[in-house]
Amino acid sequence: MVRTLALLTALLAAAATHALAQSSPFDMSGERPADAPVVQQPPQSGTEGAEPVEQAAAVRPPDAFKRFIIPYSALSLTGEVDERTWSVYLTPAQAQSAATLNFAYQNAIVVAPEASTLSVFVNGELAGEGPIGSAEAAEPLSYDLKPGLLHAGSNDIRFRVRQRHRTDCTVESTYELWTEIAPDSAFIRFAAGDSATLSSLDDVRAVGLDEHGRTQFNLVVPGLQQPSRTAALMRLAQGLALRGQMPGQAFALSETMPELGKPGQITALVGTAEELAPLVERMPDGASSGPVAMFVADAKSKASVLVISGPDWPKVQEAIEGVTQPMDRPSNIPRDVIATGRWLLPETPLIVSSARLRFSELGVETTEFTGRRFRSRFSVAVPSDFYADAYGDATLLLDAAYTEAVMPGSHIDIYVNGNIASTIQLNSVTGDILRHLPIKVTMRHFKPGPNLIEIEAVLVAEPDKACAPGTPASNDPRFALFDTSELRMPEFARIGRRPNLAAISGAAAPYRADAAAVPLFLDRADEDTLSAAATFLARLAVAGGRPIAVELITSPLAAGSRNALFIGAMPQLPKTVLMQVGIDSTRQMSWGNAEDSGQADETQKAIDEWRTRLSGGAWRNQVTAFQTWVKQEFDISLSSLRIFPEAQAEYAPPESAGLLLAQGANPTDDATWTLLTAPTAKRLREGASAIADVTRWQQLSGRVSAFEPATDKVEVTPVTGFDFVQTQPPTLTNYRLILANWLSSNIMVYALLLIGLSVLLGLATASMLTRLGRRQ
Amino acid sequence: MSKVGSVAAWAFFSLCVIAVITLPVNLQTQLIVSVLIVTFMAVLKLANAGGRWRLIALAFGTAVVLRYVYWRTTSTLPPLNQLENFIPGFLLYLAEMYSVMMLSLSLFVVAMPLPPRKASSISEGKFPKVDVFVPSYNEDAGLLANTLAAAKAMDYPADKLTVWLLDDGGTLQKRNSANLVEAQRASARNAELQKLCDDLGVRYLTRERNVHAKAGNLNNGMLHSDGELIAVFDADHAPARDFLLETVGYFEEDPKLFLVQTPHFFLNPDPLERNLRTFEKMPSENEMFYGIIQRGLDKWNAAFFCGSAAVLRRKALEETEGFSGMSITEDCETALALHGRGWNSIYVDRPLIAGLQPATFASFIGQRSRWAQGMMQILIFRFPLFKGGLSIPQRLCYMSSTLFWLFPIPRTIFLFAPLFYLFFDLEIFTASGGEFLAYTLAYMLVNLMMQNYLYGSFRWPWISELYEFAQTVHLLPAVISVLLRPSRPTFKVTAKDESILESRLSEIGRPFFVIFAVLFVALLMTIYRVYTEPYKADVTLVVGGWNLLNLVMAGCVLGVVSERGERAASRRVKVSRRCEFGVADKWYPATIEDVSAHGARVQVYGIDPATLPTDTEGGIRFEPYSGSGAPETLPVAIRNKEIAGDITVVGCRYLPQVARHHSLVADLIFANSRQWSEFQSARRGNPGLVRGTAWFLWLAVYQTSRGLIYFLRSLRSSETQKEGA
Repeated sequence: MVRTLALLTALLAAAATHALAQSSPFDMSGERPADAPVVQQPPQSGTEGAEPVEQAAAVRPPDAFKRFIIPYSALSLTGEVDERTWSVYLTPAQAQSAATLNFAYQNAIVVAPEASTLSVFVNGELAGEGPIGSAEAAEPLSYDLKPGLLHAGSNDIRFRVRQRHRTDCTVESTYELWTEIAPDSAFIRFAAGDSATLSSLDDVRAVGLDEHGRTQFNLVVPGLQQPSRTAALMRLAQGLALRGQMPGQAFALSETMPELGKPGQITALVGTAEELAPLVERMPDGASSGPVAMFVADAKSKASVLVISGPDWPKVQEAIEGVTQPMDRPSNIPRDVIATGRWLLPETPLIVSSARLRFSELGVETTEFTGRRFRSRFSVAVPSDFYADAYGDATLLLDAAYTEAVMPGSHIDIYVNGNIASTIQLNSVTGDILRHLPIKVTMRHFKPGPNLIEIEAVLVAEPDKACAPGTPASNDPRFALFDTSELRMPEFARIGRRPNLAAISGAAAPYRADAAAVPLFLDRADEDTLSAAATFLARLAVAGGRPIAVELITSPLAAGSRNALFIGAMPQLPKTVLMQVGIDSTRQMSWGNAEDSGQADETQKAIDEWRTRLSGGAWRNQVTAFQTWVKQEFDISLSSLRIFPEAQAEYAPPESAGLLLAQGANPTDDATWTLLTAPTAKRLREGASAIADVTRWQQLSGRVSAFEPATDKVEVTPVTGFDFVQTQPPTLTNYRLILANWLSSNIMVYALLLIGLSVLLGLATASMLTRLGRRQ
Repeated sequence: MSKVGSVAAWAFFSLCVIAVITLPVNLQTQLIVSVLIVTFMAVLKLANAGGRWRLIALAFGTAVVLRYVYWRTTSTLPPLNQLENFIPGFLLYLAEMYSVMMLSLSLFVVAMPLPPRKASSISEGKFPKVDVFVPSYNEDAGLLANTLAAAKAMDYPADKLTVWLLDDGGTLQKRNSANLVEAQRASARNAELQKLCDDLGVRYLTRERNVHAKAGNLNNGMLHSDGELIAVFDADHAPARDFLLETVGYFEEDPKLFLVQTPHFFLNPDPLERNLRTFEKMPSENEMFYGIIQRGLDKWNAAFFCGSAAVLRRKALEETEGFSGMSITEDCETALALHGRGWNSIYVDRPLIAGLQPATFASFIGQRSRWAQGMMQILIFRFPLFKGGLSIPQRLCYMSSTLFWLFPIPRTIFLFAPLFYLFFDLEIFTASGGEFLAYTLAYMLVNLMMQNYLYGSFRWPWISELYEFAQTVHLLPAVISVLLRPSRPTFKVTAKDESILESRLSEIGRPFFVIFAVLFVALLMTIYRVYTEPYKADVTLVVGGWNLLNLVMAGCVLGVVSERGERAASRRVKVSRRCEFGVADKWYPATIEDVSAHGARVQVYGIDPATLPTDTEGGIRFEPYSGSGAPETLPVAIRNKEIAGDITVVGCRYLPQVARHHSLVADLIFANSRQWSEFQSARRGNPGLVRGTAWFLWLAVYQTSRGLIYFLRSLRSSETQKEGA
């Protein structure tokens, strides 16, 4: 019986046609065990699974208002325990309204319903809970939220699963467990009719999400293409984005009214009172006399529209500053936390030097666990000038316990951003209590901005060996993780690097700290380019936590020695810019036009093929085998032994890339130039909107990052040579750590330095000894 | 560049090196650096580079050692809240740091040992008056006769030389002892030695009470004599004829000189050498001390008095009221006191005396216990680091000499540390396999290479470890007891005249078999755990490898405590000296091939072997170096013979009848110190790390089996004894 079921599972798994497109904000596919079984795929949207929800929605009274709540393109809860927590901002009206929480979920067929539960918590209170048993089609669920549970402002939503396999008790089987909730099926429905109405500027925070987990701001600007207005519009975009703080915010700038009342969208009308008069039924009072920024209801759709206006453009600018200025904060004081709450709670703490953080502060709760593969996660952020990836180790002081049921061979793995960073063995046969057990976690995979740290305990247990089907899950905990555990970050080296796109992604560095306006070069002031620029700047503002002042420039030379941004379609860009950021300008005109020949890849493939074909030569094989072994065991390759850095080759944009973000130094080597470009303005707009999404945004790093729409991947070209950019007041300790990191990535320099100094010391000793003591 | 400038430059580069070493670079960097530096050192060593290259190689080694120390300190200690791991882990850490500290002290001492000195000469007619002291406690008359005769025969104006036998075995206190047997023995000894001294022309001196042991005895000698210089020889240390000529001249050159020390050369093997059969081919244990360390100390004006084979200045000794007797190593203590008062010492690196090693392992241990306890007493009572009057290098040198004797403590820790993991599963050293490779293995390799670089031809690989291991078991309680009660230990004279006639286990050998058994069980445990706990096989293998190394040592020591019986009573010295051999008043031309303290081997030409039955009495006639120049005859008895054509090789035993005969024996053995130097340099070859290690492994395997065989044999014989009873 067991065997038949297992076979069935295997067949089902094999039949699944799509690879899992995991869309949590962190890609964890990196270094998972290769033998992890293929996870079954839930039906895609559009299949009958989603139908019942839509029908259910259809019978609701028409004045009901719904807000989608899932900030991801897909929410997948996998393994034996998993949960996601984030916050949803509600207006006072929404908070007071009667509300129900609706979603539909589907799970893997191997999840045993009698032993698996899906729970939803709102503001820490259980809103609904039920067994997981909806393998065939997505099952819609609706939970009434009790009055008073919701409140105005941020409300925490938490989805949690406890899943158990029907037939299998191995660790491997836990990889087959999943429950998925489609974003278009999950929403809060508010009964009161005025829930949709936005009234104050603060209500921008309640912008919400669309059915794909994205957010869009529409800026309707008559006279959009007047260059004098661009800088102010960019400020506005940033102000709105900083209020929204949603994981994927795009801006659409146009001169015409879009369709109103769509979920996850806010439309703002920007212009003088005179210009806006034709678009609005009734202009707000005072718009003709002073700056105004307030919501009005659209006549036709009854949707709330943000009107930002004034009698003339300077007054409009004043109104824009009224939106944006409150979002500003001093650039020289580091943030305590990085605002990630709309997609990940708790907010990510920012660690700028040595610190000890308790797990309880990081949102990890004391948990007792009965299963086989325990996972927990938290997030910490490091600053943009973090420079300890080569040498540093953070330490987890782990408080945990395991019983004698856990057999030797079990282990706890620590992952940083999906890369394994440490493993400790649980080897005691009698169980053990680990009290502040120090675990070194390499900081190699840390990058500026939030970093996801996962703790996974793989528990091989005696009772699992005799895995009788149908027996109730053992409720004796065999593993516990305590929230008194701590993460200890050492003092780490801090210095900026140029180029380093990870610093842009993590904290909008270096632009965040610029006191003066940042020169912004746009090749054209059309809707697409302006939308792309607004989206990108808004994303920068969110990453940096503060709005950036911009100044439009028309020539790269005007940037002088300031950090500058260049946004535009490739064909129109000045050659100097391409040269400075290291992009092959011969492809300037052809990129995106020709069919991709993929010649370079073909050549490489051919060489590899020939290499395998000519596998003769025992000596060469030995050498290769040795190289492989050294690489595998110690992560040392021949290239890590070079003394002089590799020459930086010009980057030739591949045809598959839809968008490029590239960085380099300015011609005088004293400022940073960043270029955002695409083959056409339209693709620029699409690409900017795509990378603004937090999952993709966090992948930006290196010297050039290319977004490939077809595969939804960000291809990173690593930095080969870089300049240091001083960010901290000079101190000896910091320089020492910087040196340690630089030498750790330039091994031979360290070796030669030490050898050279040893020789000098030897000579100095010889000279001293011939002068001291007796001699003959 | 001035002294200050060179020290400043050295300090600057040291700081640079330390700054670079304490950078927290990653493991990969460490690995590459270790590989590079080990390769460099190996190349320098193979090229046998000396001079500056030697110091550069040592600087390389220091860099790796310091990297290890930095890493060991910052990342390997078990967390404080796991006391069961932390306490043994911290002890192990301290033991390692002790080893590193000793390494750095010895680097300082032997960084640039002084080359051999130019011979000094005594101005004509300015020979200072010398008193030669031979303190004795219980040595027999035969042994003393050789020594006194050799002392008397030294080349020196006779009116300037007085030889004193300072007898502590025939004191009034002993002669009047309540123990009748003891009293009788002391009286007989007193009479016998007085007679011997009269015959040899030596002054006999004894005292009323045995107070302050050897130091008291020497001070008593000083009270009764007035020579400007005092030469001290142990009862078994016979000087060569040129001893005084080679040493006294230096006192004229430096009026602040209080000591000229010369090496102790031994005619017979120590128990380890005898039981391992290494005496003929491997440098003796003490050659490292006398060949390198004393020369290194000499550079810093810190060569110290070793109790014998030295000349001291009376004026200096009078400042400190004679020899210091607070510790049981009065020699070093005296030197420390005089160095502290601004007196100088020098060391002459040429064997000018020949002595005897203790014959049994037990007496060897007894001798080492005295040294260890005495040095501990100096450390406690005189703490050289803060002793006023010493220069900084002298302080460091004395710290090095005294702290060395703490070695039983870290040795014990190294011995038992792997067992914590193998038996109790305690993790007292937190490191991954890669870190172990990059730091610990590199450290160990570099350590071995530095040792070999420093002492290569004086000390073969692993021999230091073997000697320390063999001493640790019995020295540990001795050292700990002196640390607890510093004034308790008393002077015990090391017996040198025992001999082992039949093969047997040492009476103090049992603990080594227990240790061997425990380590062997740990080896089995290693194998068991590798198979049953494959998930941590890497750690088990590393710890098991460490245990295996201990096991190899312990096995080798089993051979050390299995005492071989020996036929020849003492070592033979090659002499090749013309003589005549006479039997029944017929004389034949002959050559003396080799001599020992008890007999000689003579090649006789043209003799009829049939006339030489065993125990026939005969004589050897030769011209002694001392005396009038006329040939003299030494009576002998024939022990054995070999015939080779016209030549008959005759083995014979001396039959000394009068004191002059002892002088003749001394003339044969001790006359020519150049022979000893030649013998020593013949043994001084550096086998290198690889060959030395392979040889040591072979030795260990062989000695383990020999030890086990002796052990089984001793079990059987004790069974038969029981049956007999």
